[in-house]
Amino acid sequence: MFELALKNILFYKGRSLTTFLLTFISATFFVVYVAFLDGSHESMLKNSLKVYTGSMQIYQKDYRDEGGYDYLIYDNKKIFDILENVDGVYAYTSRLETYGIASSKSESSAMMISGVDFKKESKISELKNALVDGVYQSTQNCLYMGQDLAKKLDVYLHSEVSFVGNAIDYSFAADIFKVCGIFKTGMYEFDSSSAFLNREYFDDLFYSHNTSSYIAVTVDDLSQNNYLAQSISKKLPKDIRLYTWQELMSEMVEAMKVDSIFGYISISLLFFVIFFVILIYGFINISARIKEFGTLKSIGISDTQIDKLLFLEVFIITMVALSLSAIIGGYCAYYFEINPIVMEGMSEMYKDYGIISDEIPTVFDLFTIFWNLSVILFLNLLSVLYPIYYVRKFSPIEAMRHV
Amino acid sequence: MYKTILHLAIKNALLRKTRAALLIFMIGASMSFMLSLEGLYDGMTKNMIDMNLRSESGEISIYAKEYRLKQDIRYSIKNAAKIKEDLAQIGSINSVVSRFKVSGLIASAKKSYPSDLIGVDFKAEEEFGKISEFIKKGDLNLGKNGCAVGKELAKNLKLRLNSKIIFTTQDANKNIKSKLLRVKAVIQTTNINIDNKAIFIDIDSVRNFVGVDHGSATQISIRSQDKNLEQKLKAQYPKLDVLTFAQINPLLKQMQDMTVVFNTISFSIVMGVVFIGILGVMYVSILERIREFGIMSAVGYSYSNIRLQVILESLFLAILGFLLGSVLSLVSLYYLNSYGLDLKEFADGMQSFGMSSVIYADIKIEYFVRTFYAIVFASIISVFLPLKKIKKLNPVDVIKAES
Repeated sequence: MFELALKNILFYKGRSLTTFLLTFISATFFVVYVAFLDGSHESMLKNSLKVYTGSMQIYQKDYRDEGGYDYLIYDNKKIFDILENVDGVYAYTSRLETYGIASSKSESSAMMISGVDFKKESKISELKNALVDGVYQSTQNCLYMGQDLAKKLDVYLHSEVSFVGNAIDYSFAADIFKVCGIFKTGMYEFDSSSAFLNREYFDDLFYSHNTSSYIAVTVDDLSQNNYLAQSISKKLPKDIRLYTWQELMSEMVEAMKVDSIFGYISISLLFFVIFFVILIYGFINISARIKEFGTLKSIGISDTQIDKLLFLEVFIITMVALSLSAIIGGYCAYYFEINPIVMEGMSEMYKDYGIISDEIPTVFDLFTIFWNLSVILFLNLLSVLYPIYYVRKFSPIEAMRHV
Repeated sequence: MYKTILHLAIKNALLRKTRAALLIFMIGASMSFMLSLEGLYDGMTKNMIDMNLRSESGEISIYAKEYRLKQDIRYSIKNAAKIKEDLAQIGSINSVVSRFKVSGLIASAKKSYPSDLIGVDFKAEEEFGKISEFIKKGDLNLGKNGCAVGKELAKNLKLRLNSKIIFTTQDANKNIKSKLLRVKAVIQTTNINIDNKAIFIDIDSVRNFVGVDHGSATQISIRSQDKNLEQKLKAQYPKLDVLTFAQINPLLKQMQDMTVVFNTISFSIVMGVVFIGILGVMYVSILERIREFGIMSAVGYSYSNIRLQVILESLFLAILGFLLGSVLSLVSLYYLNSYGLDLKEFADGMQSFGMSSVIYADIKIEYFVRTFYAIVFASIISVFLPLKKIKKLNPVDVIKAES
C-alpha cells in the first residue's frame, strides 16, 4: 500500500507539488508566526516582571482589595524566615510604598516613594541596571528617582526635593531629600511617578520598622513558580496571601490572551483558504482516477483499503512538507530567539502600554512547533474525507465506465 | 455568436457540478471570512479612535507652546475664551470645547494615586463627544463638590458613588492646595488617559482652585471634518500649538495604518490562494476538454472565440463565488455590526490597552468592490496558462490523439 501511494504521488506530480508547497508554506509560516506571537508576549511579561514586579508577591490578605496602612504586613521577619527555608526561592525583599506630594523649588508632583533594601532589590528587580545618573545604593536621605519624575519636578542630581505624606500611624511625614540617583526603566508610568529611599531611613521617617506593603519574591526557575507558590502559601499565616505574577499582572495576561486569539483567528483565514485549495486539488485528482479505483475495486481491493491509500498519499506528502517546515520554521524560531529582531523606537512609541524593549524575540518551543504542525496535518487529512466519500459512491462497474 | 459562446461557457462551467460547487464555496467562504475579519479589525480601530476623538483630542486640539512637553498650568492658553468664541464662528467647525487640566495626587480614605483634575464644561462636552454616553455609574448632576472619575482610577482607589476624595496639587502661585470632592459618576471611555487618571469637574471650579483667570484653558479641542482647518488655524494662531488627532495620538494613527497594511497583506494572500484554486480547476477543466476544443477549431471556431468562452467560464464561476461570498459576508458583518464580538471575559485586559470589550465590525462598500475586482482579476489571470495550451493546438493532431 505504501509503495502504491508513493508511486501515485510521483505520478500525479501537479497535485503532489501543489499540496506539498501549500502545506510547506502554511506550516512554516504558522511556526514562525506563533514563535513571534509567543515571543513578543513572553518578552513583554518577562520585562515587566524583571523590572519591578518579581515572580510572586506576598500581602496581608486585604491589602490588594482595600489598600492603605490598615492592611500592611506587620511582621516581615516571620515571612522572611519561611522564605529562607524554601528551596527554589532566588531572592526576596520587602517594600513599603506610599504616595505623597513632592516639591522642588519650582514644581510639585504626586510621587510614589518606596522604602527598599537596595542590596536585596538588585537581585529582584532591574532598578540597579536602570541607573542613568548618580548612584544606585544611596544612604540617608538620598532619593533614587525616575527620570521622567525628575523632569516633571525639574530636578537634577544633588537637587533638593521636599516630600509630604503620611507615616504608617497616619501622622504627617515630611522631609527634605537629595536626588542621588536617577533611573530609567522605560515604563513611563513608573518612571514618572516613582522614587526609592533606603529602608533604614524610610523606616525611621514613616515608623515602618519590620513592616511592609508587600514582599516581592523571585524564583530560580520561572516554570516552577506556581508549584513554589503553592508550597509557600501553605506555610504562610492565615491572614497573609501570596499572589503569583499571573494574578498580579492579570490584565496584561488577559490582553496577551486576546492578542493571541486574534492572531490565531487571523492565521486561520489562511489555513481555511489553503484547506479548500488542497481539498479541490485532491478532489480533481481523485475524480480523474475514478477508473483506476474501479479497476482496484474489481480486483478485490476493499473501500477501506482505497481509503487507506488516499489517506496515505496525503499523509506522505504532508509529512515530507511538515518535516521541512519543522526544520526551517524551527530554525527561524531558534535563530530569532537568540538574535531578536530590533525595531528602533518601538519602546518609545508603545511606552504607555508597558513595552520597554525594542527587541522582538521568538520563542523556540518544541511542543509549540509540534502542535502547530499537528494542526496542519489534521487539516490536510480532513481534506481527503470528501474525496473518499466521493470515491465510495461508485460501484466497481460504474467507476470503470466513468468518463 | 456571442450568445452561443456565453451559453456554452455557462454549460461547461457547471458540467462538473461538484467541482464547480467546491470552487464557488471556496471563493464565497474565504471571502466572507476575510471580510468579516477586515470589518472587525477596522471596527476595533475605528472605535478606539472615535472614543479618543470624543473624550479628548477632537480632530484638532490647540495648546499653548511648551504645554505638551511640560504639562504645567503655567503654559496654559490665557485668552482661551476669546479663541473659543472666534472658533465657534467658523462654519466648518462642528463643536469646540476648552478644558483646564492640572496634575496632582488623589487620596481616598485609604489610598493615594497620581491623577489629573480636568475642568470641563459638561454641556459643551455633551455636544462635543456625548460625554453622557461614557457614564457607567451615577450621573452628571454633580452638585457643588461633585466629580466624575475614570473607571480604572475608581477601581484602583476602591471608590464608590458618594465616596469622598481629596485632590492635592500645586496652584498657579506654587502653593500646595487640596480640594475635597465627592464621586457622583464613574466614566469609562476606553481612552486610557481618561479612564486611568481623570477626575472631571466644572471648568470654573478648577480655575478658581488653582487661581487662574476664567478665560484660560490648557486645551481647546475641535470637532470638524475640514481637512484644511489645521493650516488655517496654524496661520491664525502662530503662537499656539495646533495639532491634529494623528499628531496627538501617533500610536492610534499607527494602529490605523497597521490595520490597513495587515488587511492588505491578508487580502493579497487570500486572493493569491483563491487564484491557485481557480487555476487548478480551470486547468484541469481545459485539459479534460482538449479534444472538444480541437473539434471546435476544426469546425471554424477561432482561437479568440475559444479564449472568450474559457474566460467567461472562469468569470461565471468566480462571480457566483463572489455573490455567495457577498451574501455570507453581509450576514456575518451585519451580525458583528449589530451585536458585536463579545470579549467581556477579557474586559480588564482589553480596557487596560484602551480597547472596548465588545468589538463591533465596520461595514464598507469598498470591501465588496475591491473583492469583486480582485476575484474577477484572479479568474481572468488564472486561465492564461491553460489558454496557452489551447493556442498551441493542431486540431487534426488533437482529434487523432484522443480518438
